[in-house]
Amino acid sequence: MEANRIGRRTVLRTAGALAAATVVTGCGTLMGSSESRGSGGSKKRLVVSNSGGAYNDALTEAIYEPFAKETGITVTTVNYQSAQIIAQVKQGRPQVDLMDNTLLNFQKMARLECLEPVDHDRLKSVKDAGIAEHNLPEYAVGKNVWASVMAYRTDSLKRAPKSWADFWNTHSFSGPRSLQSAEADLPELEFALLADGVPLDKLYPLDVDRAFASMSRIRGDVKKFWNTGALPAVLLGRKEVVATSLWGGRADELIKQGQPVAYQWNGARRMTNGWGIPKGADNTDAAYQLIDFSLRPEVQAAFAKLSPTGGPVVPAATKLLPVDVLATLPTSPQNLKIGFDADAAWWDKNRDAVTKRWQEWADA
Amino acid sequence: MRGHRSRLALVNAVPVTVFLLVLFVYPIIGVLSLSLKGDSGGFTLHWYADALSGVNLSVLLSTLRISAETAVLSLLVGFVLAHAIARMRPVFAALAMLIVVVPHFISALVRTYGWIIMLGDHGLINTLLTSLHVPGAPFPLLYNETGVVIGTTSVMLPYTVLVLQGVMRGVDGRLLAAAAGFGASRLTIFRRIYLPLVAPGIGTAGLLSFILCLGYYITPALMGGDKQTVVAALIDQQVMKQDQWNSAAAFGVILLLLTFAGLGVLGLAKLRRKKAAARRSSS
Repeated sequence: MEANRIGRRTVLRTAGALAAATVVTGCGTLMGSSESRGSGGSKKRLVVSNSGGAYNDALTEAIYEPFAKETGITVTTVNYQSAQIIAQVKQGRPQVDLMDNTLLNFQKMARLECLEPVDHDRLKSVKDAGIAEHNLPEYAVGKNVWASVMAYRTDSLKRAPKSWADFWNTHSFSGPRSLQSAEADLPELEFALLADGVPLDKLYPLDVDRAFASMSRIRGDVKKFWNTGALPAVLLGRKEVVATSLWGGRADELIKQGQPVAYQWNGARRMTNGWGIPKGADNTDAAYQLIDFSLRPEVQAAFAKLSPTGGPVVPAATKLLPVDVLATLPTSPQNLKIGFDADAAWWDKNRDAVTKRWQEWADA
Repeated sequence: MRGHRSRLALVNAVPVTVFLLVLFVYPIIGVLSLSLKGDSGGFTLHWYADALSGVNLSVLLSTLRISAETAVLSLLVGFVLAHAIARMRPVFAALAMLIVVVPHFISALVRTYGWIIMLGDHGLINTLLTSLHVPGAPFPLLYNETGVVIGTTSVMLPYTVLVLQGVMRGVDGRLLAAAAGFGASRLTIFRRIYLPLVAPGIGTAGLLSFILCLGYYITPALMGGDKQTVVAALIDQQVMKQDQWNSAAAFGVILLLLTFAGLGVLGLAKLRRKKAAARRSSS
């Protein structure tokens, strides 16, 4: 009995210690299912990381499954963020063969020497495809373009806001607003500068002081700086705000439900997602095959039809798409003209400093 | 015989000890050493200095403030609730507990969106208040400290209710009856008999919700404004976005120390109570 009781007490103490441990470690990041790599013999499998959810569903239907049918290589997906893969590479064992992430994150990973350089000449689909130069950096290959855009309630605002200057004009377009917080992704300094009169082609290098001064002007009307991708659409749908920035496509559900919500593509900030091969990955042949496959115009178009983040990087793909799909894509000929590409090199260099400054600005 | 028994006890403790060493002590040491390592290796206190200055200190303080407010509020609400439940018939008590606990089976994200429907400018409460022409309505109940504390309190409520209810059920009703028999008023009975009897539970419940709140992340992020950034959100930023593990580790260690400090306070209080009880019984 005596021994038993000691055991029980120890167990209770363990439970207490573990509860304390969760305080340290349990800061609530959801990690995807971990996948152990197949043994060296079979090369008929490719482990790919992406950000999961609806994005993964669209990728599976438009790219992974047709690819498996054609080549016999099955794609297994995991939901790792770049920080996790950086940690894996530093330990010497990346657990994915190929990553799907933003070119900005690849810029960072290249700087940290966590990526294999990409030999673009090995990719048939790239040759003469007219892919923009910034979507073919040394260490990655752009695949699909998404955007941060404005969305607004057509019932609350009497006139449609035509630009970020209108969004900033709280007299003519009154009502609470929402913008993105640095916690979610890059703060929207470009929108603040566009609102302040900086022309589209003169944005970079960003005048950070001027951007924050402009942000300060609208701050009183910003009800919430959103920090999760789903929140701005919820705020818009609940009439908590009359206008907001959001990731293109996030208000589609509201519009489908018949809510009086519309997008404004003028001044949209484009970002490219693409492929990167982590340093030390040993399944590169299959990885190159998948990259090549994903850049075929018909595959690009198929993905664009399934995902609002699927703006093709291959111009020929837009010719295969109907007008209503094109209207929702950041790289349609029309939207390409009125938006801009986020400068991944500038942001990579300045991101930490801007984030720090954002935290201080938000706290002041 | 005794020697044999204690040896057996030691053998019994081996699995637990190994478990703790591998899964708890080793990672903690890893985090600790990370927090003391400079960018180019070598010992530094830079990350702690950084964590305890400027905006980081302000985030740490607001985390403590939010945790304290949550602890107090969930104690108050939890006390009333637990008191009511403790006096119900078992069937109803079980039902009431179910109502308190079940919302927590729903994902925190979904639950928080539920709060928007409840607390937003066009939410249930504000719509009601506006239609009743309450002056000042609609009130800002979201994206500020009020919103965060409402959210975190609801999350911590099951813990406080469970702990308090357990203690309250253990209170001997005859003591209260005896006090009443001697002519004590209800307030006196509550203050001098009931409260001291449930005091240990109050301490444990309050501290538990304080500690849990220190590391809580989703609700403050979704229901707070930009002044309600908490340490856990900062750690997430640093690890996932800035690849800044050292600084994140320093914050983790600070949170752990705060947790230990809380547990220490509770231990001291218990010790003092024991001593006081011993003195009473010896005199």
